[in-house]
Amino acid sequence: MDRVLPYVIFAVVLAMAALLLLIGITEAPVNAAGVAHDTIPAMQAGGDGAARLKAIGGYAFAFNCMLLLFAILLCVLSVSPGKRTPAFFGWMTITFAVNILVWQQMYFQHQAFLETGDTGWFLGFPTATAWQVYGVWFAGVVMIAIYSAGFRRYILSEEDERRFEELLRESRDSLE
Amino acid sequence: MEAYRHEIILGTIILYMSLCVLIGLWSMGRTRNASDFFIAGRTLGPIVVSLALFASTLSGFGFVGGPGLVYSIGVSSFWMVVISATAFGLGFFLVSKRIRMIAELRGCMTIPDVIAARYGSELARLLVAVTIVLGVLGYLATQILAMSVVMQAILADTEMFADISLLSCVVLSSTVLVFYCVTGGVIASVYTDVLQGLVMMVAGFLILITAMQTFDGGLREASEIVLADDGESMMPFGAAGIITSLGWFFIFGIGLAGQPHIVTKMMMNKNLADNRSILPLSLLGYVVAALLWISIGLVMRAVVVSGGAEPLTLPDDAAATFLALFASPLLAGIVFAALFAAIMSTSDAFLNIGTAAIIHDIPRAVRGRPVENELLWARVVTVILAVVAAGFALFSYYRDATLVALLGAFGWSTFAASLFPVLAIGLNWKRATTAGAVAAVSSALAINFIVQLAGITLPWGITGGLAAFVTSLVLFFGVSYATPLPRLARDIDRVMEI
Repeated sequence: MDRVLPYVIFAVVLAMAALLLLIGITEAPVNAAGVAHDTIPAMQAGGDGAARLKAIGGYAFAFNCMLLLFAILLCVLSVSPGKRTPAFFGWMTITFAVNILVWQQMYFQHQAFLETGDTGWFLGFPTATAWQVYGVWFAGVVMIAIYSAGFRRYILSEEDERRFEELLRESRDSLE
Repeated sequence: MEAYRHEIILGTIILYMSLCVLIGLWSMGRTRNASDFFIAGRTLGPIVVSLALFASTLSGFGFVGGPGLVYSIGVSSFWMVVISATAFGLGFFLVSKRIRMIAELRGCMTIPDVIAARYGSELARLLVAVTIVLGVLGYLATQILAMSVVMQAILADTEMFADISLLSCVVLSSTVLVFYCVTGGVIASVYTDVLQGLVMMVAGFLILITAMQTFDGGLREASEIVLADDGESMMPFGAAGIITSLGWFFIFGIGLAGQPHIVTKMMMNKNLADNRSILPLSLLGYVVAALLWISIGLVMRAVVVSGGAEPLTLPDDAAATFLALFASPLLAGIVFAALFAAIMSTSDAFLNIGTAAIIHDIPRAVRGRPVENELLWARVVTVILAVVAAGFALFSYYRDATLVALLGAFGWSTFAASLFPVLAIGLNWKRATTAGAVAAVSSALAINFIVQLAGITLPWGITGGLAAFVTSLVLFFGVSYATPLPRLARDIDRVMEI
């Protein structure tokens, strides 16, 4: 696992690069990155959302899945191999699943709006945007909870602190 | 109270500035050597570090450019805010523990110090130091410009200073900043950050309440107005589209761990175990303060679309216009103080790391030893750096009135693309080599600067920062794998085992 993990992360990075390249060479509609608002200067509009998602929606969806996977794998990489217990992998899997769920809900609720023109509402925002505003934030909080609550188990145990103190002592002794 | 609006706003700002000066004077007696000046001697408690960390993260970009972006392109720029939890979490997972350990073990004062220790390479130190100086100049100039433009707008409303020039405002606003940075170094910087962080949190919370009361139907009514005008602007990818949005998700979500002004704070805490409380506290502060970004931008777009106000000449006027239309004089004073706080807390961090790169890192990389009397030179270079950045700000302003927000994003993305692989991944992956680090930093710098300076527009709203970030990651892994296995110093190897 220790040796394989960086290769997997590299593969994810290559996949993101390839997807970005595919998006870059796909012909873009006029409103791909917004157009000037009809009546209000210094304001942009999105225009026909379905038209600009049609050609690259799938690539973009996959790109963000890769990006979320990349973030989770980096968290795993940062934890020393001895602390990567089954429970830790379980928590990381849950974090990834929550992130993917939020992304999937946001993307497909937006698609539904583009198809029907209707949307539900949640705490001041259309459903898709509510998934973005509250869901993305919450998904990150899961990661923070694992860091803070699991600090002694996964990040820095008391044994780690003793090892570091010993290393500091040795370093000072060698200087003297 | 309304009759004294300008006086109240000006009084609040003067009070805030005076407190910053007092903190600078208080810190002067506590700054005895270069270590105190650059990393506060690694003595700070968790609350101070938390507030300093989030205050440095949220710059003038969040208070001026952020609402301006929401006004201009709708929900697209929400991505820079909502990703904060993931960004802080990832930053702490990847960087906080090992950077603090290496800093103590090797007596590192700066990020390039840590890079030199990790890779055993002066070339890597030099490249990172140069990257920091270049990024700092652009970023600092943006902050000074934003501070001066706001100050000019406030003073122009008074009789006495109605015709005040931008140059005078640059001098006025920079003087306080430079004063406390020169006298108290990073100790003044972090303790003013505490004040600034608290002011920003109060302002963010109060503005959300005010914004929700602007329309009878609250935020939902504002959202409905924007949605009815242009559906995409109120949907998750906004007017700027899915690729620009995901690019910001990438750069701001992943890239926080490569921001030198932020990760430097991770070297300053007294106890390693404090990180478990610093992380949630920092995020809480950031989220509360950033409410201002989302709420002002959205409400101003809705107000203008519904005909409640004249269209803005510049999107960056969104915050000032909102305050003029909807905020009480006292709230406007607090928010303007918070704006100065946001700008100054980021600027002091930049002044500090830029100065460190110039007098500490570049001489070490080039001559193999530091300059003599680092503390004196640190103070001199802080002044020079501020003057150069102010000059750069004026030059940029009169030659090209590009949005402050986009300049800010360019600074962030330059750091993210250049430093994230080398620092955040390099501290966790022993196979990373100096050649990989050099390739990553060089490519990121080259792509960012070429795209920005040549005015190249990539399709689908792909930003130069995103292209640079992905390229630098590919090269970092690819070149590291293609070059021989590095031999790490024994102590660094042991730190990376913990």
